[in-house]
Amino acid sequence: MRLSWIEIRDFRNYHEASLQVPPGLIVVIGPNAQGKTNLLEAMYYLCTLESPRVSSDLPLVRSVTFSPGGGGQPPASLSPGPSSAFLRGEAESSGGRALIEVEVRGGGQNRVQVNRSPVRRKRDLRRHVRAVFCGPDDLRIVQGEPDDRRRFIDECVRTLWPAKEGTASAYERALRQRNRLLKDWPGPAAPPGLEGWDAELVGHGAALTSVRAGAVAEIAGRASQEFQRLSGQTAEALGVEYRPSVEPAGTETLEAAFRRRLDERSADELIRRTTLVGPHRDDLGLRVQGLTARGFASHGEAWGAALSLRLALGRAVASELGEDPVVFLDDPFSALDPERRRRLAAGLGGRGQVLIAIPDESQLPEETATVWCVREGQVAAA
Amino acid sequence: MFEGPIQDLIDELSRLPGIGPKSAQRLAFYMVKAPAQDARRLAEAIVAAKEGVRFCRDCFSVSEGELCRICRDPGRDPEVICVVEESKDQAAVEKAGVIKGRYHVLGGAISPLEGIGPDDLRVQELLDRVGRNGVREVILATNPNLEGNATAMYVAALLKPLGVRVTRLASGLPVGGDLEYADEVTLGQALEGRREM
Repeated sequence: MRLSWIEIRDFRNYHEASLQVPPGLIVVIGPNAQGKTNLLEAMYYLCTLESPRVSSDLPLVRSVTFSPGGGGQPPASLSPGPSSAFLRGEAESSGGRALIEVEVRGGGQNRVQVNRSPVRRKRDLRRHVRAVFCGPDDLRIVQGEPDDRRRFIDECVRTLWPAKEGTASAYERALRQRNRLLKDWPGPAAPPGLEGWDAELVGHGAALTSVRAGAVAEIAGRASQEFQRLSGQTAEALGVEYRPSVEPAGTETLEAAFRRRLDERSADELIRRTTLVGPHRDDLGLRVQGLTARGFASHGEAWGAALSLRLALGRAVASELGEDPVVFLDDPFSALDPERRRRLAAGLGGRGQVLIAIPDESQLPEETATVWCVREGQVAAA
Repeated sequence: MFEGPIQDLIDELSRLPGIGPKSAQRLAFYMVKAPAQDARRLAEAIVAAKEGVRFCRDCFSVSEGELCRICRDPGRDPEVICVVEESKDQAAVEKAGVIKGRYHVLGGAISPLEGIGPDDLRVQELLDRVGRNGVREVILATNPNLEGNATAMYVAALLKPLGVRVTRLASGLPVGGDLEYADEVTLGQALEGRREM
């Protein structure tokens, strides 16, 4: 699948831009702070209705307009910015074409239309287009807290199987209800009604554990391959392993294991007044050359691991759907040595539509089909 | 934004469920323009409802008298009780016309996040009723969401020792719906509850 064109209005530093998006590898070049990442972000947002960088939509709307100075004139006045950003574009996949229109409102609900009819849920959009974004923030997957890795696993779940998106939020709600009950109950024994929440926690938790396990199984082997290709050595493998909070022993079902672990920790839970067992305590084990990536991997290795995980997600989606998702790589080369840069660049062909943002031309991959130059929120074909 | 009574009215209306500031403003201006007797009638209906509506002594549904229409009806089977969260849920079940027994309105569902515990619901009253009247079956028709399920679970655990049959409404596909549009959880539950043909 691919984007075939996009129109951007009042998004980040873009006032107005309209672009035909060809297939293959597209390289976005420009100095710092000109809008390369913003362009990738706009395209990713159109595909997923999510920003890879911020959770609130407020920063996405262009905040201040400069009066058209031109000719070196200083901006004459500052006026209040627009209240919404607009993104329009068309996605093509084997399922057909989809015209996607999004009004990003700084506050309040966005308006989204696909083929002129309104869409309520993000996952309805994923029937038409899927995208994978990899940017500097992804270092957190490797070097950050377990929470960052759980977020990554859940993103893999959503991208691979949009229908399973609700699994994580259903668990989250059951967990919050149960935690509140434990926290607010004044008595020393178990609060009344806890069994009901246990049942909800176990049901949704087991469902979440198994979809997470499925998603990690899809990307683990592929990530290891991507990492090997990047490093050029077979020995330097990346180990990816799901570490669930609840693991069945022997022939035990996941639900039974969850219940057993809850029973084991119940006394402790009444003292600590919070839920101590469940997928909210999962982690993703990442090892480089047998050592825990967090803490042991160098900056370059950590970035290579993050990149490999994202590229693996792209490959997994491709094998699930039979066509490649749109892939965005923001500044992929900067932490890599020249040899790894060359190998990454050489491996970017044959992945469908891939957009990468880089600050200078010396890093231009050979496979590049299209080059866009970005300057002050304007895009020009080179 | 406005002055005096009109702003007071907008503020009051916007506190109602489902009414935002824009709707409140529209309603307020509509009422100001409407004939005086319309406004008076609405105001009187609100006051009369607040003062006149009572809750049925047995089932706690909204009622005009001490007992509601259904609890007064001798044709309804007193041995079957259908437990719902709110009076409006009772109306929905009643519209289907499939319950020949009586109802019990809990007054909500257990939700620790909203500070609603079992003591805030009419659970004890249900237990008393079941113990008193020789009830044969209790149908738990709380909403099929997280809070409704947890409430059903809690009530069921208390009812079982009383030796009464406790059932829960099935979850599944809507009649006349498309499989294609069913969400994954519903489909999964429908599959779990599948029947031999």
